[in-house]
Amino acid sequence: MIDPLDASIKIAGSGLEAQSSRLRVVAENMANAQSTGRVPGSNPYRRKTITFENELDRSTGVDLVKVRDIGVDRTPFRTEHDPGNPAADDQGMVKLPNVNILLEMADLREANRSYEANLQVVKETRDLFSMTLDILKSSS
Amino acid sequence: MIGAVSSVGAVASASAAQITNSSSVTIAGNAVGDFSQMMTQVATDTVAKLRTGEATAISGLQGKATVQQVVEAVSDAQGSLQTVLAVRDKAISAYQEITRMTI
Repeated sequence: MIDPLDASIKIAGSGLEAQSSRLRVVAENMANAQSTGRVPGSNPYRRKTITFENELDRSTGVDLVKVRDIGVDRTPFRTEHDPGNPAADDQGMVKLPNVNILLEMADLREANRSYEANLQVVKETRDLFSMTLDILKSSS
Repeated sequence: MIGAVSSVGAVASASAAQITNSSSVTIAGNAVGDFSQMMTQVATDTVAKLRTGEATAISGLQGKATVQQVVEAVSDAQGSLQTVLAVRDKAISAYQEITRMTI
């Protein structure tokens, strides 16, 4: 039997870590949005995806969230005519990463909101805890 | 009536004996012994949590723990310490209440 307030903080903490990992993946995708291959015709950076799953914590009996895996997006690459690029093939076409900046911005904002929500759970739980403890302190 | 007063006296002397000699929990009787054991347990748990908090803070500085883990461990330790302080203040005020009793 674990204190539900302790459990809430633990669960929200796992949410914070999961959303941090998501933010990391978004950062990688955005930073590599223009990363092309080295040799003619080679593949550029491939967009990464992240998925989550629930995980039963045996010691406390609560469902935490964790990163299931970091996979890759299989959608086709964009191509662009740029004969001067070292990755250009014999027709002068360069493969660009399948990263859509708008999509990444939306994902970034969603990670941000989810992080804020989990943080709010931690704050509220701390408030409840100290409010309860104040009963012991003030009543004399 | 007299029996009630003498039992209060017994409790007071038992807790006095316990405070002067904290190791002799058997003298103080069963109820007091359980309470002191509970207090010892709580204190031990709190010290362990404080140690965990410090260790996590240090590994956070070394880059081995995430900032979320550091915050979680340190605030856990802070909560336990506050609880123990509140309970200690309560126990001391109860003891002072007995010492101020009009005889």
